[in-house]
Amino acid sequence: MKILLIEDEKELSFSISEYLQKENYLCESVLNYETAIEKINLYHYDCIIVDINLPDGSGLNLIRALKENKSETGIIIISAKNSLDDKITGLEIGADDYLTKPFHLPELNARIKSIIRRRSFGGVNEIVFNEIRILPDQMEVNVNGSTLTLTKKEYDLLVFFLSNRDRVLNREAIAEHLWGDEMDMADSFDFIYTHIKNLRKKIIEKGGEDYIKTIYGMGYKFTGQ
Amino acid sequence: MKLLTRTSLSYSLISLVVFVVSSLMFFHLLNGIFKRQIDENLYEEKLLIEQTINFSDSVPDFRLIFGHMIDVTILNAPQKRTGYIRDTLMYDNDLGTFASFRHLFAENTSFRKKGYTINIYKPLMDSEKLITEIVVSLALVFITLLLLLVLVNYFITRRIWIPFYRTLHILSKYEINQSAPIALAETDIHEFKLLNQVLEKMSMKIRLDYSNLKEFNENAAHELQTPLAIIKSKLELLIQKENLDENQLHLVSAIFEATTRMSKLNQGLLLISKIENNQFHQNEKVNLPLLIDSTLEHFSEMIGHRKITVSKEYQYPVMLDMNPSLGEILITNLVSNAIRHNVTNGRINIRVQEGSLTIANTGQIMKTNPHELFQRFRKSENNPGSVGLGLSIVQKIANACHMKVEYLHVDGWHTLIISFS
Repeated sequence: MKILLIEDEKELSFSISEYLQKENYLCESVLNYETAIEKINLYHYDCIIVDINLPDGSGLNLIRALKENKSETGIIIISAKNSLDDKITGLEIGADDYLTKPFHLPELNARIKSIIRRRSFGGVNEIVFNEIRILPDQMEVNVNGSTLTLTKKEYDLLVFFLSNRDRVLNREAIAEHLWGDEMDMADSFDFIYTHIKNLRKKIIEKGGEDYIKTIYGMGYKFTGQ
Repeated sequence: MKLLTRTSLSYSLISLVVFVVSSLMFFHLLNGIFKRQIDENLYEEKLLIEQTINFSDSVPDFRLIFGHMIDVTILNAPQKRTGYIRDTLMYDNDLGTFASFRHLFAENTSFRKKGYTINIYKPLMDSEKLITEIVVSLALVFITLLLLLVLVNYFITRRIWIPFYRTLHILSKYEINQSAPIALAETDIHEFKLLNQVLEKMSMKIRLDYSNLKEFNENAAHELQTPLAIIKSKLELLIQKENLDENQLHLVSAIFEATTRMSKLNQGLLLISKIENNQFHQNEKVNLPLLIDSTLEHFSEMIGHRKITVSKEYQYPVMLDMNPSLGEILITNLVSNAIRHNVTNGRINIRVQEGSLTIANTGQIMKTNPHELFQRFRKSENNPGSVGLGLSIVQKIANACHMKVEYLHVDGWHTLIISFS
């Protein structure tokens, strides 16, 4: 998988690359519009992550350039401007997703995965982890072949976990993923706890293993090790 | 007191004083002139009488000659030369009443060594009458002139001050955050021109300062987002490290929480400056009951968790003409506010009527002054984790959308009423 990251803020760019490299992506990062346009014209990427406000141009124009080339590349906009207009324009000209800074790296990771999954032609859109198999198009989860009945939140939680395997997910990232950023209440941590408890129970009931580890004081980790 | 009334009054008062003083002076002046005239006449008459006496000892009836009271007495002994002129009151036979006379008395010795006295009485009646008539007619002219002056002054002043009142009206309607610069009406009066120029300059300066400040606020909040994003991303990488112990994780977790709070705060401030900068301008029809229902759905877990009973009463299919994003933020803030400050097993009543939305919730008694409720960073001590911008945002949105927010505390219910036209 090849990913192009176009972000002018060096440190943020480093963080994102470092996080994504663990997913075995080939992540190239460029800091400006000009280099980005060169890269886009020369190589093919499965997904590009683009900041709208670049020092020498607008990320929106990069998206337009990509779309002119009939590129099938997945596009995620990351912007510090939480502007509805930008979001609408971005999505209208063909971006797949929009994230506002500051965002959680697991969130970006999950969105990239979702885009890549949707674009994997030929293959079946599914997430498999040992005995767990998720069919995102049907929103169906199977454990050892039998279907799991999950609530929407439990399903979202499981997909989020599986997108960020072997990663420590802090509770805030989970809360924001499940409820968006309006949920700034301490209670949401209780809900996460409840949802995770139920999810664990349901997976174990179907003979699955308990992969969700609690990292005390921090959050959770979905790991097979 | 209005300026016009004050000037008119002052004018009238000063004019009255001037009028009284000047008429008195005028009266005295006239009186003096007349008296002098009379006195001259009297002396002439006296001279004539004396000449007559000097040449003949006989005394003709002067009354017949001069037509007023003249009394000449020839004495045998010579007399010293004396005399005076004065005013006197005498019974006037013609009028049948006392009247004032000018009385000349003279005593002397004639060439023929005989003394004589002369008394001439000239009635002042006629001259007094004349003086009064003159003064009265003059007074009439004066008063008419005065009235005319005051009236003309009143109307001229009223006309002259029109540009001033126009400026005042425009100023009173002026709002600092409106987009157009202040436009004062043209005037050809120098002072008002000057006033308008100064006001226009001042408002320009204020507008500039205000917009700079707003811009600064937005830029500051915006620029903070990037370092916050960096901190967050670094923290997320940090917690992936395998060798962190529990204590270190706790530290990182605390930094995480503080960063999140800061970022929320920052987003709230950014939102407020965006609302203030009118960056939400595209209006659409917003279905209020539908919006409330979807917001309640969004918060259903929260509501269930706190065992809050929500009762809704939609009296009208109310459609609001406002920016949909703002509508969503408004309702989200109101609902989350009602949940956050509620108690376990509490209640929320939502009523939508034509022209108003009422959200009431049970909750602990507030220690904050209700007037400070909508101020920034005003938060309850029950909820130290909140950033304290929720209701401030509600207020800003209401202002931007020409709505009114009101807080009431009735029978233990915290009630927020949003009225819209």
